Amino acid sequence: MTVRRLTFLITTTFIVCGVALAAVEEAEELTHKIPPGYVPEEARDEQGLWLELEEAERSLNKSALLIRNTDINAYINAIVCRVAGAYCNDFRVYVIRNPHFNASMTATGMMQIWTGLIVRAGSTDEIAAVVGHEIAHYTRLHSLQRLRDIKKKMAAGAFFDVALIALSGVSAPVGQMTAMMSALAFNREQESEADVLGVMMVVDASYNPHASYTVWENIIAEEEAAVAKREEPGMFAKTHPAAEERARYLKALVTARYGPPDQDAVHDQKLLSVLNSNYAMLMEDQLDTNRFGRTLDLLERHGEMGVNPSLVRFFYGEMFRQRGEDGDRELAKSAYRHSIEGADAPPEAYKNLGYLLLKDGDIDAAKDNFRMYLELHPDASDRAMIEFYLEE
Amino acid sequence: MKSIKNLLLVSTAICFAGCVTGYTLVATGVNSIDTLQVSAGPGWNLAPNYAGTGRRKNSQTWTQDGMLLDRLVFVPAVADGEALLVVADESAALPVFRKDMLPNEIEELAESTFVKIYGEGNAIFSTSNLRPQTFGDHRGIMFDVEAQVTESPDYRGMVGAFVVDEKLYFMYYLAAHPHYYVKHRDEAEAIIKSATLAVVAEQA
Repeated sequence: MTVRRLTFLITTTFIVCGVALAAVEEAEELTHKIPPGYVPEEARDEQGLWLELEEAERSLNKSALLIRNTDINAYINAIVCRVAGAYCNDFRVYVIRNPHFNASMTATGMMQIWTGLIVRAGSTDEIAAVVGHEIAHYTRLHSLQRLRDIKKKMAAGAFFDVALIALSGVSAPVGQMTAMMSALAFNREQESEADVLGVMMVVDASYNPHASYTVWENIIAEEEAAVAKREEPGMFAKTHPAAEERARYLKALVTARYGPPDQDAVHDQKLLSVLNSNYAMLMEDQLDTNRFGRTLDLLERHGEMGVNPSLVRFFYGEMFRQRGEDGDRELAKSAYRHSIEGADAPPEAYKNLGYLLLKDGDIDAAKDNFRMYLELHPDASDRAMIEFYLEE
Repeated sequence: MKSIKNLLLVSTAICFAGCVTGYTLVATGVNSIDTLQVSAGPGWNLAPNYAGTGRRKNSQTWTQDGMLLDRLVFVPAVADGEALLVVADESAALPVFRKDMLPNEIEELAESTFVKIYGEGNAIFSTSNLRPQTFGDHRGIMFDVEAQVTESPDYRGMVGAFVVDEKLYFMYYLAAHPHYYVKHRDEAEAIIKSATLAVVAEQA
């Protein structure tokens, strides 16, 4: 290790410890700025912001990407309400079908949770930690502060509209949104406040505070596993401090205040139930991103968490088959066979194993699997294609 | 004086450029797109080269009512290891065609490519009704597509594809549902089904 690197590490450690300790001290006094049921009555800019955001919410309500599935919504709403406590009725939660990791909250209490957050969560506590952070932004009026800062800095009135779009989070495609969110990100102090207050809310709601940094450790691990590294950071990273920095200071803060984590790993049945019921949708969306390193990281984590092994193995098969590197065909066939050994293999495990056997020239075995697929899935929309191979 | 003249020339050029849409009418009858041949009816317009995300040089996009409402896209001769799009950014993680792909994998290639065209996280695509389809003398496939896109109408469409000499010939129709999709569906389907390869290419 070079002297320069050692100096850097020592300095970094001091800074991290300093930030964490300062945060612990601040935590004693940090409180919500608004009461439950808050509605702006005096400030005109705040009223204007609310009107725009309410319009944005009406638009979001019509979004084709809104998840209307009751079990996911019930699960997420229960977490939000438990963390929010007395503020529960102030929030409307929208779960959005998007394979990336993100959550956001507007000044009016419109909360968005993307399905990419659910599929990446190691536990319900981790989702609660992200929710606590977002609620803290709301109760500390960070959006309003941000808007006022922007207005001070920017003379052009048009920027106000851009700011409103970004704050609402619904009226622009992700590409444009990312750029705007980056420009309008909460400042470091606001992020620290949301982290600290978020942890306090999570603890008050009897969730595990250590989840506040493990959620970031998972994101770091996924980033390291990624084959195609993002040249541009993702949406959440653009608007929040770097994952590494956040994981470090939150770990220091939580450990100092609440002691070390409980080492006994317990399966999170509520999260597992939601993942098992919606696994096909969640993982197909992830596969469509064509980011195999990330998908592999998720599958490994899901296997450890106890997600239905037949489903996890099936998606290992899908991932290896679609990746198509040397040796992947054998790995895919093995994964499909393992999936089929379980009780809950999707019929597609037979079909896709059949296609791979077809490539191998093992026609009889391929046809056996195709027949099994049609037997299990008589209404398959690709019946004509499968029958074509069966008749060949 | 010379600089004023240059300024005037540039201004005039900009004015004219603004008037030119770049769209040209597609001839009725047989049209060649690289080595791919299709039979078109009236009313289709060829989009200019700059239109569309990551367009390959030899591909073409046709439309009746504008690309946001309907588009019929032809992507000929995609070689092993190539993507259906051309994007310089390596972090885009584009899916690529592999010469040993079977129908289910071409279906997945299409789905993932569409997600990249509309932006990861902005759109959810699903496919169905994968079925065999003959293109001239070539065995191929067709399947249907549905999409939900952020801040946009739903889209529906269909894909036709076949592989000859280890190259993929890929065509799709995608239109705002229900009106525009229904309006041009039959014509678009007939054009896709008419696809075949020019004789020269077949002999090569």
